[in-house]
Amino acid sequence: MQIEFKINGKEHNMNVPSTMRLIDLLRDELGLTGTKEGCGEGECGSCTVLMNGKAANSCLVLVPQIRGQEILTIEALEKDGQLDQLQESFIKNSAIQCGYCTPGMLMSAKALLMVNPHPTEDEIKTSIAGNLCRCTGYNKIVQAIQEAATQD
Amino acid sequence: MKKDLNYVGRTYPIHDATQKVRGSLEYLSDMKLPKMLYAKLLLSPIAHGRIIKIDTSRAEALPGVIRVFTHLNTPKKTYSRYRIIPDQEFCLEDERLLTEKVRFVGDRVAVVVAVSKEIARQAIELIQVEYEALPVLSTPEKALDDQETKIHPEGNLLHQYQLKLGEQLPLPDDCIDIETKTNTQKVHHAAMETHVCLADFDSSGKLTLWAACQGVFGVRTIVADLLELSYNKVRVIKVPMGGSFGGRQETILEPITAFLAKEVKHPVKLTLTREDTIISTMTRPATSSRIRTKVTKEGILVDCSVETIVDAGAYATSSIDNTYVMSKKICKLYRIPYYEHSGKTVYTNTPVAGGARGWGAPEIMTAIEIHMDAAAKRLSMDPVELRRQNLVHPYDFDKSSHISLGNAQVIECLEKGAEAFSWSERFTRVLDQGRFRRGVGLACAAHKNGMYGGFPEHSTMTLKMNEDGSFILNTGLHELGCGTITSITQIAAEVLDIDLSNITVLEADTEYGPYDFGSYGSRVTYICGACAFEVAKRVKEKLLECAAYSLQKPKQYLECKNGRVWVLGNEQNSISYRDIATTAKVKDNTDIVVTHTYHGTSNPGAYAVHFAEVEVDTATGRVRVLDYLAAHDIGKAINPGMVEGQIQGGVQMGIGYALYEEVKVGNDGSILSSSFKNYHVLNAPDMPTVKTLLIEQGGDEGPYGAKSIGEIAFVPVAAAIVNAVNHALGTSMSNMPLTPEKILAVLNK
Repeated sequence: MQIEFKINGKEHNMNVPSTMRLIDLLRDELGLTGTKEGCGEGECGSCTVLMNGKAANSCLVLVPQIRGQEILTIEALEKDGQLDQLQESFIKNSAIQCGYCTPGMLMSAKALLMVNPHPTEDEIKTSIAGNLCRCTGYNKIVQAIQEAATQD
Repeated sequence: MKKDLNYVGRTYPIHDATQKVRGSLEYLSDMKLPKMLYAKLLLSPIAHGRIIKIDTSRAEALPGVIRVFTHLNTPKKTYSRYRIIPDQEFCLEDERLLTEKVRFVGDRVAVVVAVSKEIARQAIELIQVEYEALPVLSTPEKALDDQETKIHPEGNLLHQYQLKLGEQLPLPDDCIDIETKTNTQKVHHAAMETHVCLADFDSSGKLTLWAACQGVFGVRTIVADLLELSYNKVRVIKVPMGGSFGGRQETILEPITAFLAKEVKHPVKLTLTREDTIISTMTRPATSSRIRTKVTKEGILVDCSVETIVDAGAYATSSIDNTYVMSKKICKLYRIPYYEHSGKTVYTNTPVAGGARGWGAPEIMTAIEIHMDAAAKRLSMDPVELRRQNLVHPYDFDKSSHISLGNAQVIECLEKGAEAFSWSERFTRVLDQGRFRRGVGLACAAHKNGMYGGFPEHSTMTLKMNEDGSFILNTGLHELGCGTITSITQIAAEVLDIDLSNITVLEADTEYGPYDFGSYGSRVTYICGACAFEVAKRVKEKLLECAAYSLQKPKQYLECKNGRVWVLGNEQNSISYRDIATTAKVKDNTDIVVTHTYHGTSNPGAYAVHFAEVEVDTATGRVRVLDYLAAHDIGKAINPGMVEGQIQGGVQMGIGYALYEEVKVGNDGSILSSSFKNYHVLNAPDMPTVKTLLIEQGGDEGPYGAKSIGEIAFVPVAAAIVNAVNHALGTSMSNMPLTPEKILAVLNK
């Protein structure tokens, strides 16, 4: 099917199978491999992207659903080579270990801070409840998001 | 110990943090090669049976399919995925690339190579297999009882040990007998990246494997021996991976992927789904341990007898060694005059057990720490007091290995931890009787630092100085996400007194890098870190010799500081590392490069004592962990921020082990929890804040006194949680995990 959409500020018009998942479009067709696959069923959140500002598991989204939508992936989080406050804060707070969940975590945190710039600790935890991390035990991730929010 | 450290003891982010937050780090699952093909496995849907007929014709006819392989057209040669070095003992070769007899749900039956992932997936569904079903032995008890059904020709009892240490003395009259039985379950490592492998066999006859693994040389040994290639024709390159936790210790996907690449003469990538990773790779072994102790009324352990059964699953892999290791751990923690342990390793028709964070220690420490609480309860003693009387002291000898436990500061962890946690107030608080009941629990744990005492233990590194004064350290290291590269860089930076940005540490590559056994056995900081320290020290000596020549001063009058060599007592007279290196190379015809092999000669204990407070909802059986403190004897924290991260991550995994996580196997061998929908990994809202208390007293041979952290951080967690739940409810549960159903069943008794 022919479909138009916007990813990371760039308009695309592509011919792709209608059964294709958004994650495959991103990774295999557009080379945006910052979005990771961890389970393929919306349970781990490694593939989280923003769809019109809302966090979504790109493994559960089929390409027809993104028609006319604006998608943001981890690759668009930095602006003009400048890391986002969240990215800086993750680095500073040792919130990254293997890093495989990091892009998804950052996108969920971004979705939260876009609508709620000063969240409570519980709101932060809830916002990343769908993002699994096996390395850090979440403590430093929550701390990093808190710190990024304070500095905004 | 050196006092004024500039780089060691400070927190740095993991070396590739910037790439990771940008999503630009290329993990193995992101890699693509020109002309790359995709492989997909067909896994057995039944737990035990013989393939009578297998028809691949429809799959082969599908456009885009390159080849289909089954046991009929692959080598029959057997191998062990656990082997690291040639001629290694206890590596039973009981596995084939593709099997004719399936031994668990998830066994490899066939594999398709196709031009796309999608075609490979479709082709797998077109393969028709007819099985003759055999009786399923889903537990060690069934496997030991059934004399007729043999999972492997040698029988279901893989191995058994008997260990007796110390002397059985006449017992004091007032001894009491304590007996407990603890069951620990199979769990999934749940590294966020699923298992994946990429292989290429080029026209020169060389095989290259890009491996997300914990030991490239072990992978090379297994693959080269299996495919009958010489070791110089197999190159294994460690690439970025999304976690491991022991799940990539053994060589799982590399043999089949290498075979495929060799056959189809194209690069081949094999990526597992989450479900395939859960059922067909490895699990933590399920174990059961019956412990009997005799304890005096004053709370002194007099003798201890342990019987352990380890469920190896369908293939032996590391389970024999794992059982052996389990039999020796308790002597690292407690002073026990007489200790005996018998261990059985048993095949079952269940997922394959293997390396998992802590390697035997979490299983046996959970059992002994639940037992210690049972003993304290019988004696009406405070669990802290009972342990204090029996824990090992610094420089005690390990009864089982006859080597020193080093500066074992477990009592310090216990005392400082109990104080910081306000243990006595919380423990003696009147217990709640309402719906929500709080309780506290603690557990002690011991682990190791490398493999000295039971296995060869050495590491080799080459450190070279570039002409501009920067350095490249070539190693056999594997970054698993724990911050290894950063801490090794800090150690080298400290010795050379130069900022971290001037040192690049390379990871393992069998062709271009030096030999190392791999990242397991809690050996990386203690052994590889010491190697980095020693090689940097030797380079520094060379550097000073070259500087002495340039500055015309004897070496002993010189010191290294912040990238320059200074003449002591003369603030004006110095030379930069750049000038030293360039002068050496150009004028003095000297290259500053050193290769060093470090040999481990000690293996002190790594210790932890964890404290937990939980709240049990007696209406639902749900447990919430409210508060957590982890006290660790770490010797010296090289990178404190990453050390805390290791501990917090270990606690996350341990709470799951205690309460939720289980790769459940049905009576027919079917896997009942094969996705994250029914395999619960703790998420952020359920995770408590973990406070850490680091005891840093050095005193052993690790770099700057450092000891291991990654594995020991997980070891005591489950017992601390289980003990807290038992304290809250007045129960004596020891059948993990303590799911709401099990808790309600006990409460409703």
